[in-house]
Amino acid sequence: MLDIKLNGIVIITGNYGSGKTETGVNLAFYSKKKGLNVSIADLDLVNPYFRTRQALEILTKANINVILPDKQYMHADLPILTPKVAAIIKKSNYNDKSLTILDAGGDDAGVNVIAALNDFLSKKKVNMLQIVNPFRPFTENIKGCIKIKQEIEASSKLKITGLVSNANLIDDTTIDNIYKGYELIEKLSEKTGIKVEFITADVKILSILNLKNFDCPVLPITRKLVPPWKRS
Amino acid sequence: MAKVLMKGNEAIGEAAIRAGCLNYFAYPITPQSEVAEYLAKRMPEVNGVFLQGESEVAVGYMIFGAAACGERVMTTSSSPGISLMSEAISYISGARCPAVFVNIMRGGPGLGGILPSQGDYLQATKGGGHGDYKMLVMAPDGVQEAVEMTMLAFPLAEKYRNPVMILGDGLIGQMMEPVEFPNNLNKEPTNKDHWATNGMDTRKSKEKNIVKSLFLDPKVLNDHNLTLKSQYEKMKKQEIRFEAYNTDSDYQILIVSYGTMSRVCKTVIDNLKIQGIEVGMIRPKTLFPFPEKAVYDAACKKSCKKVVSIEMNMGQMLEDIERCVKGKKEVSWYGKCGGDVPTPEEIINHIKLLLK
Repeated sequence: MLDIKLNGIVIITGNYGSGKTETGVNLAFYSKKKGLNVSIADLDLVNPYFRTRQALEILTKANINVILPDKQYMHADLPILTPKVAAIIKKSNYNDKSLTILDAGGDDAGVNVIAALNDFLSKKKVNMLQIVNPFRPFTENIKGCIKIKQEIEASSKLKITGLVSNANLIDDTTIDNIYKGYELIEKLSEKTGIKVEFITADVKILSILNLKNFDCPVLPITRKLVPPWKRS
Repeated sequence: MAKVLMKGNEAIGEAAIRAGCLNYFAYPITPQSEVAEYLAKRMPEVNGVFLQGESEVAVGYMIFGAAACGERVMTTSSSPGISLMSEAISYISGARCPAVFVNIMRGGPGLGGILPSQGDYLQATKGGGHGDYKMLVMAPDGVQEAVEMTMLAFPLAEKYRNPVMILGDGLIGQMMEPVEFPNNLNKEPTNKDHWATNGMDTRKSKEKNIVKSLFLDPKVLNDHNLTLKSQYEKMKKQEIRFEAYNTDSDYQILIVSYGTMSRVCKTVIDNLKIQGIEVGMIRPKTLFPFPEKAVYDAACKKSCKKVVSIEMNMGQMLEDIERCVKGKKEVSWYGKCGGDVPTPEEIINHIKLLLK
């Protein structure tokens, strides 16, 4: 399988519910296993549930540095940006040993926070990924994906540098869904000139996928943000 | 139509459009704001209207106005917002207009918290507003059922000329699941002539329809309330919906739970079965009318020792279960209401305690 070679600062964006947090958290574990020093910051100021903070315990256990608002504000639906985020961006160096993941909220509203960090981010080389799930409303085609891309870029004041297909219907995902997602992300790449960074596939489906069909790496997904009846 | 991945809140919005509801008024509140966000994008595409009121009080009366005109209309809110709308719900019930209210519940009382709760069971089923009124209340256990119930809510509201409420906890609104939308729905309001004030020119009936809930003559008001009562009795005969889970087994414990909580309870029942402990469940899909007979019959099964109501509140549905079981078996409550949903492990431990 091809390797995902991401380091330095990686901002995860995409339309609402495209699977940014699940992708970000799994990328953190993947990169940690590869030997990188990994930090992940929860910048989701729009979504009230299913945020990175839900995976706090397992991330911390894996020695991944998790940056969150102060504990007393963990369950607030207020736009709180901890100063620790700016500090971690300042510290981050573009080298092959560290990865800082900034998990933004969905849509253009979710990346307003990225614009607020522009003073710090503009001095760095930044990877900004657009996560696409074609089975979500508003991104089922190229037109929808480009619209979201433009809105995110306008709002964040940064350019998308990489595309990620996160095609899934959770437990109902079929291999055809993954191939359909790959097809769309390739077309989007062709249209925009932005490279496909990787695609994702649940570990349960990974073994039956023909990886030779893909010219990009595949990030294996083990779902971490699950509803209470699926928690063990 | 192929499956799509949707949040409960988005799916409720889409379901309303597919059911022909082109009038949506709301005021944002966590954890249901995505309905408004979604419909702000979608309504213009179908020539519908989303208007954000200046408060939930205003929204309640926008709903009343649109309903009185003969339009399919919906609002969505969360607990404190529904409290503010309760006056309008009482007026709409009094005026016998159909409308759909969605409550994606958060913790209370007061501002409470933004995490999931089932703390508005009594408000929804016993009336948060004043007077002898009832709403037909449906409680989905996931995104697909939220879609189906939202679509069903409109014709039911029209059939009984009464508000219908979809009652979901925060997780129902926030979680994502694959969904399919049924096709070929009737998008036109039914029996519109009975309740719409749409001008004498277009009315089939020659009688005027004045929308009001004021009846100063005591006999007229009493008769009006008897009419309302007859509708609630009719709902009790025709609209009870529930799911029985593992009730073919010789269960020792009967769980009654609904919504997200019932999903957790299914995991509990499956796990306990492996351990050789049989537990059954009645899941009310309609909270009013309540599946009284189903709960009574299931509790009376010989193998059943105890009945437990598992809720994300301090024991509200418990009152209805006690009423239905009529003292035949011991009825107790287990739950939490801070926003942490009871885990399968916690419930399993509680059930083992009940069996000691």
